[in-house]
Amino acid sequence: MSLLLKNISLPLADFTLEVNVEMRKRVTAVFGPSGAGKTSLLDLIAGLRSARSAFIQLDGNVLTDTAKHISIATRQRGLGYVPQDLALFPHLSVRQNLLYGTNSRAAASPLFTFEHVVEVLEIEPLTSRGVTELSGGEKQRVALARALLSSPRLLLLDEPLASLDAPLKEKIIPYLARVRDEFRIPMLCVTHDRFEALALADEIVVLVDGKVRQTGPVLDVFNRPASAEVAKFVGVETLHPGQITNVTEGLATVSVNRATLTALAPPIVSREVFVSIRGEDVILQREAAVASSVRNRLSARVVALRTEGALVRVELDAGFPLFALVTRPACVELALREGEQVTALIKTPAIHLVPH
Amino acid sequence: MKFRPFKRSLYLLALTIVTILSVSSRAAEITVFAAASLTDSLKEIAADYEKSSGDKITFNFGASSTLARQIDAGAPADIFFSADESQMDGLAKKDLIDPATRKSRLGNSLVVVVAADSTLQINSAGDLTNATVKQIALADPKAVPAGVYAKAWLTRQQLWPAIEPKVVPTENVRAALAAVESGNVEAGVVYKTDAGISKKVKVAYEVPAKDAPDISYPMAVVKESKQPDAAKNFLNYLDSQEAGDIFKKFGFILRD
Amino acid sequence: MTSAEWQIVWFTAWVSALSTLVILPFGLALAWALARRDWPGKSIVETFVSLPLVMPPVATGLILLKLFGRRGGIGGLLHDKFNLDVIFTWRAVLLALSVMSLPLLVRAARVAFEEVNPRLEQIARTLGAGNWRVFFTITVPLAGRGIIGGMLLAFARALGEFGATIMVAGSIPGKTQTISLAIFQDVQLGDDTHAYRLLGVSVVLAFAAVWCSELFLRRRKK
Repeated sequence: MSLLLKNISLPLADFTLEVNVEMRKRVTAVFGPSGAGKTSLLDLIAGLRSARSAFIQLDGNVLTDTAKHISIATRQRGLGYVPQDLALFPHLSVRQNLLYGTNSRAAASPLFTFEHVVEVLEIEPLTSRGVTELSGGEKQRVALARALLSSPRLLLLDEPLASLDAPLKEKIIPYLARVRDEFRIPMLCVTHDRFEALALADEIVVLVDGKVRQTGPVLDVFNRPASAEVAKFVGVETLHPGQITNVTEGLATVSVNRATLTALAPPIVSREVFVSIRGEDVILQREAAVASSVRNRLSARVVALRTEGALVRVELDAGFPLFALVTRPACVELALREGEQVTALIKTPAIHLVPH
Repeated sequence: MKFRPFKRSLYLLALTIVTILSVSSRAAEITVFAAASLTDSLKEIAADYEKSSGDKITFNFGASSTLARQIDAGAPADIFFSADESQMDGLAKKDLIDPATRKSRLGNSLVVVVAADSTLQINSAGDLTNATVKQIALADPKAVPAGVYAKAWLTRQQLWPAIEPKVVPTENVRAALAAVESGNVEAGVVYKTDAGISKKVKVAYEVPAKDAPDISYPMAVVKESKQPDAAKNFLNYLDSQEAGDIFKKFGFILRD
Repeated sequence: MTSAEWQIVWFTAWVSALSTLVILPFGLALAWALARRDWPGKSIVETFVSLPLVMPPVATGLILLKLFGRRGGIGGLLHDKFNLDVIFTWRAVLLALSVMSLPLLVRAARVAFEEVNPRLEQIARTLGAGNWRVFFTITVPLAGRGIIGGMLLAFARALGEFGATIMVAGSIPGKTQTISLAIFQDVQLGDDTHAYRLLGVSVVLAFAAVWCSELFLRRRKK
């Protein structure tokens, strides 16, 4: 799909939203801290809001062009929108909510059947219930199904996991993945959660204070933040794909390039994962064979050092790029220099696995 | 000492106040409850009387039936000037008026009026039953004298059942007049004296005396009056020739 | 209660009900516009809508009398083009009741509309619904309680209307006489018993209408 956003200028409370970006991948995440203007951007794309200036084009169809005073009505844009508060119609049953979008333009040739969507999102037993009786996760799936059943060309999702607690988040992500893979609909997700972005997106647009700071494939942006500002927000030092080779007693063995790590098994296990390790959780030591509780002891070579205030960011090669944050005095004490061999220690619970 | 001049001015002040009070108390203020049709004539008569007597006359004009009810309920009237005997009788029965002062002063005649720019022709009572006359304004025929008289007339002509469905009852005879003036009804039955004061209506038909009921306007002093002497004085003036001339000017008939 | 009295009650009830239905489309449209839209001069419209609530009813009646009389702007047109008379007919009663009760409906409905989450309407539009469909399938059902409460309030107000009605409709027995007009006339004529009976009916009707209205307008307890 191709979503072109040009010359967007929308004054908001504290700043002006200014966006010039083209999104080509099937799943794009708009990523940024709360209040960065992400919801306003979605509203603009959906035609629920107008901007001082905007040019929005989806797959070659112009949706908004303020210069020519063109603005296609929301209901003709063919976009599915799942807002942050889900906005399920409380006076209608689940079934009526689901069918609400099915008797308009798409009725002639719906993209997916009612039964198919209901099956994929596993909401069959809910259809006869009232909306107020549903749990958080059930509401999420119903809102998603409702948007899908209107046969949209593009799905807009505003913080789909934000209102859910951690275990629930992990349960919903696979549904979103299923939507992506089974229905193959382009999705534009707005989120401030990096794991959401990691789990779902092919491409990421980083939006801070209304301006686009970086775009690109997810891993690239996270591993190589273009600026300190993006890095601060992205906040993960080590991020690398890996494969779970074994799960025993709640512990997973993960193969990352040539190295092997022991981590806590995620609730839903998939073979392909992203391995995420925060720099502050990596301990460096000179001596290798000291008995300790740490399961992960990797032999690593120092590749580069970068001073960041009171800390030093150490880039290591442990069979995969690994980053550690240590204090400057520690750096001096251990005599860390490029090319030095050290042992990197990482506690099992500090390794975060994100299914991909 | 200081107090002496002070005491003296206080004494003078008191004297002045008493004098003013006694002077003003000599001028009486009386309230006259009178039929609506008497509005213009009585106001002119009262203006003359006030100049010569120094008394002040306040009026309450309205439907005689309503006024009688108010007097019955204790309203502070000194004189009641009704448009029919029946309302005066009602108060007399309840011993609310001074029978010695009661006098039937005036007569009147009924007319059918239409709006000044109307093309309607009414040449007889029967014409009121025509389809061109959709609505007729009358003072409420249930109790207001003008309406009662009109109903009596039409009943005697045996036209009342045909005309009753067209009737728009109004609060008093002047309201009926206003309804015709506004053009919202085709015709109305009012007193000849009312038609006389309005430029926006014209008389389409005068009810001949032989067809009309006997119209009589009695006046009397109300028993509960706080100013019976001043009231009697004004009543006598109403009975005088000067007042009679003014009544005649407005079109009333003098009964004696 | 004689049959004449029942006729008065029945007439009052059906004209009041009809007036509530008549003001419904315009009242809802106005309430929606006030709730959801902004425009220069909006406060003037708000003030005008509230005027019949505050002005003396007879003053409002006088304005209607001038407008709808045969010589008036609107009344003249109706009389000349359609041979339709308003003043002194049941249509005048309908007019007076409608004008006097409209503000109550608009205020209650406006609050009801304001309480509907606009997000729901927006999402309905993304699902392909046009403005009318959104209004009737989302906005109105969700504002339903408030709207019905407003209608009942307007109905109750219409039942008791006097000042404007007597100005434009007179008190023609059998044709334009409502309960309040009949009570007034009865008292004028000294027929108190008659008046008291109608008074009783009036109290019962008003009580029932307002009580039901409160049921709907009271916030649902969570």
